[in-house]
Amino acid sequence: MTALSRDQVLARLKQLPSLPSAVSDLLASFGNEDVDVEQISRQIARDQGLTARVLRVANSSFYGLQSRVGTINEAVVVLGFRAVRSMVMAVGMNGVFRVDQCRGFDAQAYLRHGVGVGLASRALAPLAGQNPELAFTGGLLHDIGQLVLASNFSAQYSAVLDYRNKHDCLLVVAERDILGMDHAEVGGMLAATWHFPDSLCQAVAEHHSPASALADSLANVVHIADAFAHALELSGSSTELAMAVDRTAWARLGLDGDKCRKVLGETEHCFEDTYQVLKV
Amino acid sequence: MKKIAVLALEAVQPGMKVAEAVLDDGGRVLVPAGAEVSTSMLTSLARREVASITVEHEVEEDPAQREAQRMALTARLDELFRKAGDGPETRTLYEAVLAHRLENPK
Repeated sequence: MTALSRDQVLARLKQLPSLPSAVSDLLASFGNEDVDVEQISRQIARDQGLTARVLRVANSSFYGLQSRVGTINEAVVVLGFRAVRSMVMAVGMNGVFRVDQCRGFDAQAYLRHGVGVGLASRALAPLAGQNPELAFTGGLLHDIGQLVLASNFSAQYSAVLDYRNKHDCLLVVAERDILGMDHAEVGGMLAATWHFPDSLCQAVAEHHSPASALADSLANVVHIADAFAHALELSGSSTELAMAVDRTAWARLGLDGDKCRKVLGETEHCFEDTYQVLKV
Repeated sequence: MKKIAVLALEAVQPGMKVAEAVLDDGGRVLVPAGAEVSTSMLTSLARREVASITVEHEVEEDPAQREAQRMALTARLDELFRKAGDGPETRTLYEAVLAHRLENPK
Protein backbone atom coordinates (compact mmCIF):
# COMPACT_ATOMS: atom_id res chain seq x y z
CA MET A 1 0.00 0.00 0.00
CA THR A 2 1.62 3.23 -1.11
CA ALA A 3 -1.18 5.76 -0.44
CA LEU A 4 -0.20 8.67 1.77
CA SER A 5 -2.27 10.57 4.28
CA ARG A 6 -2.07 14.30 4.99
CA ASP A 7 -1.03 13.48 8.55
CA GLN A 8 1.94 11.45 7.32
CA VAL A 9 3.04 14.32 5.09
CA LEU A 10 2.55 16.92 7.84
CA ALA A 11 4.62 14.84 10.26
CA ARG A 12 7.52 14.84 7.76
CA LEU A 13 7.19 18.53 7.02
CA LYS A 14 7.66 19.28 10.72
CA GLN A 15 11.01 17.47 10.62
CA LEU A 16 12.44 19.42 7.69
CA PRO A 17 15.58 21.45 8.32
CA SER A 18 14.85 25.12 8.78
CA LEU A 19 15.41 27.60 5.98
CA PRO A 20 18.43 29.93 5.99
CA SER A 21 17.48 32.75 8.38
CA ALA A 22 17.73 35.39 5.64
CA VAL A 23 15.14 33.46 3.64
CA SER A 24 12.69 33.11 6.53
CA ASP A 25 13.06 36.81 7.35
CA LEU A 26 12.32 37.66 3.74
CA LEU A 27 9.25 35.43 3.83
CA ALA A 28 8.05 37.36 6.86
CA SER A 29 8.62 40.64 5.01
CA PHE A 30 5.89 39.89 2.42
CA GLY A 31 2.88 41.96 3.39
CA ASN A 32 4.91 44.04 5.83
CA GLU A 33 5.19 47.59 4.56
CA ASP A 34 7.63 48.68 7.29
CA VAL A 35 10.29 46.20 6.26
CA ASP A 36 13.85 47.28 7.14
CA VAL A 37 15.57 46.80 3.79
CA GLU A 38 19.04 47.63 5.09
CA GLN A 39 18.82 45.18 7.94
CA ILE A 40 17.67 42.38 5.64
CA SER A 41 20.40 43.20 3.09
CA ARG A 42 23.02 42.92 5.84
CA GLN A 43 21.57 39.59 6.87
CA ILE A 44 21.69 38.22 3.32
CA ALA A 45 25.25 39.50 2.98
CA ARG A 46 26.32 37.48 6.05
CA ASP A 47 25.34 34.26 4.25
CA GLN A 48 28.20 34.01 1.78
CA GLY A 49 26.88 31.07 -0.23
CA LEU A 50 23.53 32.75 -0.67
CA THR A 51 25.14 36.09 -1.56
CA ALA A 52 27.34 34.52 -4.22
CA ARG A 53 24.40 32.80 -5.88
CA VAL A 54 22.21 35.91 -5.75
CA LEU A 55 24.97 38.01 -7.36
CA ARG A 56 25.44 35.42 -10.10
CA VAL A 57 21.78 35.70 -10.99
CA ALA A 58 21.85 39.51 -10.74
CA ASN A 59 24.77 39.66 -13.19
CA SER A 60 23.36 37.13 -15.66
CA SER A 61 21.40 37.96 -18.81
CA PHE A 62 18.28 37.42 -16.69
CA TYR A 63 18.46 41.13 -15.88
CA GLY A 64 20.66 42.28 -18.74
CA LEU A 65 22.41 44.95 -16.64
CA GLN A 66 24.91 47.23 -18.37
CA SER A 67 27.37 47.00 -15.48
CA ARG A 68 28.04 44.42 -12.80
CA VAL A 69 26.74 44.57 -9.23
CA GLY A 70 29.22 43.40 -6.58
CA THR A 71 27.26 43.49 -3.32
CA ILE A 72 23.76 42.77 -2.08
CA ASN A 73 23.33 46.48 -1.33
CA GLU A 74 24.17 47.40 -4.91
CA ALA A 75 21.78 44.74 -6.16
CA VAL A 76 18.99 46.24 -4.02
CA VAL A 77 19.75 49.74 -5.33
CA VAL A 78 19.95 48.68 -8.98
CA LEU A 79 17.26 46.00 -9.16
CA GLY A 80 15.02 46.96 -6.25
CA PHE A 81 14.24 45.17 -3.04
CA ARG A 82 11.40 43.10 -4.47
CA ALA A 83 13.59 41.65 -7.20
CA VAL A 84 16.35 40.74 -4.75
CA ARG A 85 13.81 39.27 -2.34
CA SER A 86 12.42 37.01 -5.06
CA MET A 87 15.89 35.94 -6.05
CA VAL A 88 16.91 35.07 -2.50
CA MET A 89 13.69 33.11 -2.07
CA ALA A 90 14.35 31.24 -5.28
CA VAL A 91 17.98 30.30 -4.64
CA GLY A 92 17.53 29.88 -0.87
CA MET A 93 15.09 26.98 -1.29
CA ASN A 94 17.54 24.98 -3.37
CA GLY A 95 19.56 22.50 -1.42
CA VAL A 96 17.04 21.93 1.39
CA PHE A 97 15.82 18.67 -0.15
CA ARG A 98 17.91 15.58 -0.89
CA VAL A 99 16.33 13.71 -3.76
CA ASP A 100 19.18 11.38 -4.73
CA GLN A 101 17.52 8.48 -2.86
CA CYS A 102 14.51 8.59 -5.14
CA ARG A 103 15.10 6.21 -8.06
CA GLY A 104 13.86 7.69 -11.31
CA PHE A 105 13.57 11.28 -10.07
CA ASP A 106 15.39 13.58 -12.50
CA ALA A 107 16.61 16.56 -10.44
CA GLN A 108 18.08 18.30 -13.47
CA ALA A 109 14.81 18.08 -15.41
CA TYR A 110 12.99 19.36 -12.31
CA LEU A 111 15.13 22.49 -12.12
CA ARG A 112 15.10 23.10 -15.87
CA HIS A 113 11.31 22.91 -15.89
CA GLY A 114 11.08 25.19 -12.82
CA VAL A 115 13.30 27.82 -14.48
CA GLY A 116 11.16 27.62 -17.64
CA VAL A 117 7.94 28.08 -15.67
CA GLY A 118 9.55 30.95 -13.73
CA LEU A 119 10.54 32.77 -16.91
CA ALA A 120 7.15 32.15 -18.57
CA SER A 121 5.39 33.36 -15.40
CA ARG A 122 7.52 36.50 -15.41
CA ALA A 123 6.61 37.16 -19.06
CA LEU A 124 2.90 36.48 -18.43
CA ALA A 125 2.68 38.50 -15.19
CA PRO A 126 1.81 41.88 -16.78
CA LEU A 127 -1.22 40.29 -18.50
CA ALA A 128 -2.59 39.46 -15.05
CA GLY A 129 -1.48 42.64 -13.27
CA GLN A 130 1.00 40.59 -11.22
CA ASN A 131 4.47 41.55 -10.04
CA PRO A 132 6.91 39.87 -12.48
CA GLU A 133 9.52 39.06 -9.81
CA LEU A 134 7.00 37.40 -7.53
CA ALA A 135 5.62 35.53 -10.53
CA PHE A 136 9.13 34.26 -11.34
CA THR A 137 9.54 32.95 -7.80
CA GLY A 138 6.10 31.31 -7.92
CA GLY A 139 6.96 29.63 -11.20
CA LEU A 140 10.35 28.46 -10.04
CA LEU A 141 8.90 26.92 -6.88
CA HIS A 142 5.55 25.69 -8.22
CA ASP A 143 6.46 21.98 -8.19
CA ILE A 144 8.21 22.07 -4.80
CA GLY A 145 5.75 19.40 -3.60
CA GLN A 146 7.61 16.97 -5.90
CA LEU A 147 10.80 17.62 -3.93
CA VAL A 148 8.98 16.97 -0.64
CA LEU A 149 7.68 13.66 -1.99
CA ALA A 150 10.91 12.55 -3.67
CA SER A 151 13.02 13.34 -0.59
CA ASN A 152 10.68 12.15 2.17
CA PHE A 153 8.74 9.33 0.53
CA SER A 154 11.30 8.21 -2.01
CA ALA A 155 10.13 4.58 -2.40
CA GLN A 156 6.51 5.62 -2.90
CA TYR A 157 7.52 8.36 -5.32
CA SER A 158 9.63 5.93 -7.34
CA ALA A 159 6.48 3.81 -7.64
CA VAL A 160 4.64 6.92 -8.93
CA LEU A 161 7.33 7.49 -11.58
CA ASP A 162 7.21 3.82 -12.64
CA TYR A 163 3.43 4.02 -12.90
CA ARG A 164 3.65 7.16 -15.05
CA ASN A 165 6.07 5.47 -17.44
CA LYS A 166 4.04 2.28 -17.60
CA HIS A 167 0.69 4.01 -18.20
CA ASP A 168 2.01 6.93 -20.27
CA CYS A 169 0.05 9.45 -18.18
CA LEU A 170 0.62 12.88 -16.68
CA LEU A 171 2.56 12.96 -13.41
CA VAL A 172 -0.38 14.36 -11.41
CA VAL A 173 -2.56 11.47 -12.58
CA ALA A 174 0.06 8.93 -11.46
CA GLU A 175 0.41 10.70 -8.11
CA ARG A 176 -3.33 10.66 -7.46
CA ASP A 177 -3.65 7.00 -8.51
CA ILE A 178 -0.73 5.78 -6.40
CA LEU A 179 -0.53 8.20 -3.46
CA GLY A 180 -4.10 9.47 -3.29
CA MET A 181 -2.74 13.03 -3.36
CA ASP A 182 -0.66 15.13 -5.75
CA HIS A 183 2.41 17.37 -5.62
CA ALA A 184 0.32 20.55 -5.72
CA GLU A 185 -1.50 19.59 -2.53
CA VAL A 186 1.75 18.57 -0.82
CA GLY A 187 3.45 21.76 -2.05
CA GLY A 188 0.58 23.78 -0.59
CA MET A 189 1.12 22.08 2.77
CA LEU A 190 4.83 22.92 2.65
CA ALA A 191 4.08 26.53 1.65
CA ALA A 192 1.77 26.84 4.66
CA THR A 193 4.33 25.21 7.01
CA TRP A 194 7.05 27.60 5.85
CA HIS A 195 4.67 30.58 5.97
CA PHE A 196 4.95 31.50 2.31
CA PRO A 197 2.95 34.63 1.43
CA ASP A 198 -0.61 33.88 0.30
CA SER A 199 0.12 34.59 -3.37
CA LEU A 200 2.90 31.96 -3.47
CA CYS A 201 0.83 29.47 -1.43
CA GLN A 202 -1.93 29.73 -4.03
CA ALA A 203 0.49 29.45 -6.95
CA VAL A 204 1.96 26.25 -5.52
CA ALA A 205 -1.27 24.65 -4.27
CA GLU A 206 -3.60 25.51 -7.14
CA HIS A 207 -1.48 25.49 -10.29
CA HIS A 208 -3.24 22.33 -11.48
CA SER A 209 -6.72 23.64 -10.57
CA PRO A 210 -6.67 27.35 -11.40
CA ALA A 211 -10.41 27.49 -12.18
CA SER A 212 -11.13 27.08 -8.47
CA ALA A 213 -8.56 29.75 -7.55
CA LEU A 214 -9.44 33.45 -7.30
CA ALA A 215 -9.60 35.36 -10.59
CA ASP A 216 -6.53 37.44 -9.65
CA SER A 217 -4.59 34.50 -8.15
CA LEU A 218 -0.99 33.89 -9.21
CA ALA A 219 -2.12 30.26 -9.74
CA ASN A 220 -3.64 31.34 -13.11
CA VAL A 221 -0.30 32.70 -14.32
CA VAL A 222 1.70 29.71 -13.10
CA HIS A 223 -0.74 27.22 -14.61
CA ILE A 224 -0.43 28.78 -18.06
CA ALA A 225 3.34 29.11 -17.65
CA ASP A 226 3.50 25.42 -16.73
CA ALA A 227 1.73 24.51 -19.97
CA PHE A 228 4.07 26.79 -21.97
CA ALA A 229 7.25 25.34 -20.43
CA HIS A 230 6.09 21.77 -21.15
CA ALA A 231 5.15 22.73 -24.71
CA LEU A 232 8.66 24.18 -25.22
CA GLU A 233 10.18 20.93 -23.81
CA LEU A 234 12.46 22.92 -21.52
CA SER A 235 12.94 20.09 -18.99
CA GLY A 236 15.05 18.21 -21.52
CA SER A 237 13.47 14.97 -20.25
CA SER A 238 12.35 12.18 -22.56
CA THR A 239 9.14 11.90 -20.48
CA GLU A 240 8.06 15.49 -21.21
CA LEU A 241 4.30 15.73 -21.90
CA ALA A 242 2.28 18.79 -22.85
CA MET A 243 -0.72 19.39 -20.58
CA ALA A 244 -4.20 20.71 -21.32
CA VAL A 245 -4.60 24.45 -20.81
CA ASP A 246 -7.35 25.44 -18.38
CA ARG A 247 -9.95 27.56 -20.19
CA THR A 248 -10.74 29.76 -17.18
CA ALA A 249 -7.10 30.66 -16.50
CA TRP A 250 -6.58 31.35 -20.22
CA ALA A 251 -9.57 33.72 -20.32
CA ARG A 252 -8.46 35.48 -17.13
CA LEU A 253 -5.15 36.34 -18.79
CA GLY A 254 -6.86 37.37 -22.03
CA LEU A 255 -4.53 35.16 -24.08
CA ASP A 256 -4.49 34.71 -27.85
CA GLY A 257 -2.07 33.25 -30.40
CA ASP A 258 0.03 36.42 -30.81
CA LYS A 259 0.47 36.90 -27.06
CA CYS A 260 1.41 33.22 -26.75
CA ARG A 261 4.15 33.53 -29.35
CA LYS A 262 5.57 36.62 -27.68
CA VAL A 263 5.70 34.90 -24.29
CA LEU A 264 7.19 31.72 -25.81
CA GLY A 265 9.98 33.81 -27.36
CA GLU A 266 10.68 35.73 -24.15
CA THR A 267 10.72 32.50 -22.14
CA GLU A 268 13.20 30.78 -24.38
CA HIS A 269 15.39 33.85 -24.88
CA CYS A 270 17.20 33.81 -21.53
CA PHE A 271 16.39 30.23 -20.53
CA GLU A 272 19.81 28.57 -20.85
CA ASP A 273 21.61 31.43 -19.16
CA THR A 274 19.18 31.57 -16.23
CA TYR A 275 19.31 27.80 -15.81
CA GLN A 276 23.12 27.84 -15.75
CA VAL A 277 23.27 30.45 -12.96
CA LEU A 278 20.58 28.77 -10.84
CA LYS A 279 21.78 25.19 -11.14
CA VAL A 280 24.67 25.34 -8.68
CA MET B 1 12.90 35.46 -44.99
CA LYS B 2 14.73 37.48 -42.33
CA LYS B 3 17.05 35.54 -40.09
CA ILE B 4 19.01 36.58 -37.00
CA ALA B 5 22.47 35.02 -36.76
CA VAL B 6 25.85 35.50 -35.11
CA LEU B 7 28.29 36.05 -37.96
CA ALA B 8 32.07 36.31 -38.00
CA LEU B 9 33.01 39.93 -38.74
CA GLU B 10 34.45 38.94 -42.15
CA ALA B 11 31.06 37.51 -43.17
CA VAL B 12 29.09 40.64 -42.22
CA GLN B 13 28.07 42.78 -45.21
CA PRO B 14 27.29 46.50 -45.29
CA GLY B 15 23.52 47.01 -45.32
CA MET B 16 22.75 44.24 -42.80
CA LYS B 17 21.03 45.31 -39.58
CA VAL B 18 22.72 44.90 -36.17
CA ALA B 19 20.33 42.72 -34.11
CA GLU B 20 22.05 42.95 -30.70
CA ALA B 21 24.08 45.87 -29.36
CA VAL B 22 27.85 45.36 -29.59
CA LEU B 23 29.52 46.08 -26.21
CA ASP B 24 33.15 46.52 -25.22
CA ASP B 25 34.72 44.70 -22.25
CA GLY B 26 33.51 47.44 -19.89
CA GLY B 27 29.92 47.01 -21.04
CA ARG B 28 29.87 50.27 -23.05
CA VAL B 29 27.81 50.26 -26.23
CA LEU B 30 29.98 50.38 -29.37
CA VAL B 31 27.09 49.88 -31.80
CA PRO B 32 23.43 50.01 -30.74
CA ALA B 33 20.90 47.35 -31.81
CA GLY B 34 19.05 48.36 -34.96
CA ALA B 35 21.98 50.20 -36.59
CA GLU B 36 22.73 49.51 -40.27
CA VAL B 37 26.15 47.99 -40.91
CA SER B 38 28.54 50.31 -42.81
CA THR B 39 32.08 49.82 -44.10
CA SER B 40 33.45 52.28 -41.55
CA MET B 41 31.65 50.42 -38.74
CA LEU B 42 33.28 47.13 -39.83
CA THR B 43 36.72 48.77 -39.93
CA SER B 44 36.22 50.24 -36.46
CA LEU B 45 35.01 46.90 -34.99
CA ALA B 46 37.94 45.04 -36.60
CA ARG B 47 40.33 47.57 -35.02
CA ARG B 48 38.80 46.76 -31.63
CA GLU B 49 39.25 43.04 -32.37
CA VAL B 50 35.54 42.24 -32.24
CA ALA B 51 35.35 38.73 -33.73
CA SER B 52 31.61 38.38 -34.39
CA ILE B 53 28.35 40.31 -34.13
CA THR B 54 24.66 39.42 -34.23
CA VAL B 55 22.92 40.64 -37.38
CA GLU B 56 19.60 40.31 -39.14
CA HIS B 57 19.86 39.34 -42.78
CA GLU B 58 17.82 38.00 -45.64
CA VAL B 59 18.16 34.32 -46.50
CA GLU B 60 16.70 32.50 -49.47
CA GLU B 61 13.99 30.10 -48.44
CA ASP B 62 13.58 26.67 -49.97
CA PRO B 63 9.83 25.78 -49.92
CA ALA B 64 10.49 22.02 -49.94
CA GLN B 65 12.87 22.29 -47.04
CA ARG B 66 10.41 24.40 -45.07
CA GLU B 67 7.61 21.92 -45.68
CA ALA B 68 9.83 19.05 -44.50
CA GLN B 69 10.67 21.06 -41.39
CA ARG B 70 6.97 21.69 -40.72
CA MET B 71 6.16 17.98 -41.09
CA ALA B 72 8.90 16.98 -38.65
CA LEU B 73 7.81 19.60 -36.12
CA THR B 74 4.15 18.61 -36.40
CA ALA B 75 5.03 14.97 -35.79
CA ARG B 76 7.03 15.91 -32.67
CA LEU B 77 4.29 18.21 -31.33
CA ASP B 78 1.58 15.59 -31.93
CA GLU B 79 3.64 13.20 -29.81
CA LEU B 80 4.21 15.85 -27.12
CA PHE B 81 0.53 16.90 -26.99
CA ARG B 82 -0.86 13.32 -27.07
CA LYS B 83 -2.40 13.66 -23.58
CA ALA B 84 -3.36 17.33 -23.78
CA GLY B 85 -6.81 16.93 -25.37
CA ASP B 86 -8.20 19.13 -28.13
CA GLY B 87 -9.58 22.15 -26.24
CA PRO B 88 -9.40 25.33 -28.35
CA GLU B 89 -6.98 27.03 -25.93
CA THR B 90 -4.64 24.04 -26.00
CA ARG B 91 -4.81 24.00 -29.82
CA THR B 92 -3.95 27.72 -29.91
CA LEU B 93 -0.90 26.98 -27.77
CA TYR B 94 0.03 24.10 -30.10
CA GLU B 95 -0.17 26.38 -33.15
CA ALA B 96 1.82 29.11 -31.37
CA VAL B 97 4.59 26.64 -30.48
CA LEU B 98 4.65 25.36 -34.08
CA ALA B 99 4.98 28.92 -35.45
CA HIS B 100 7.63 29.74 -32.81
CA ARG B 101 9.66 26.62 -33.64
CA LEU B 102 9.53 27.28 -37.39
CA GLU B 103 11.13 30.68 -36.73
CA ASN B 104 13.41 29.48 -33.90
CA PRO B 105 14.56 25.90 -34.53
CA LYS B 106 16.02 24.13 -31.49
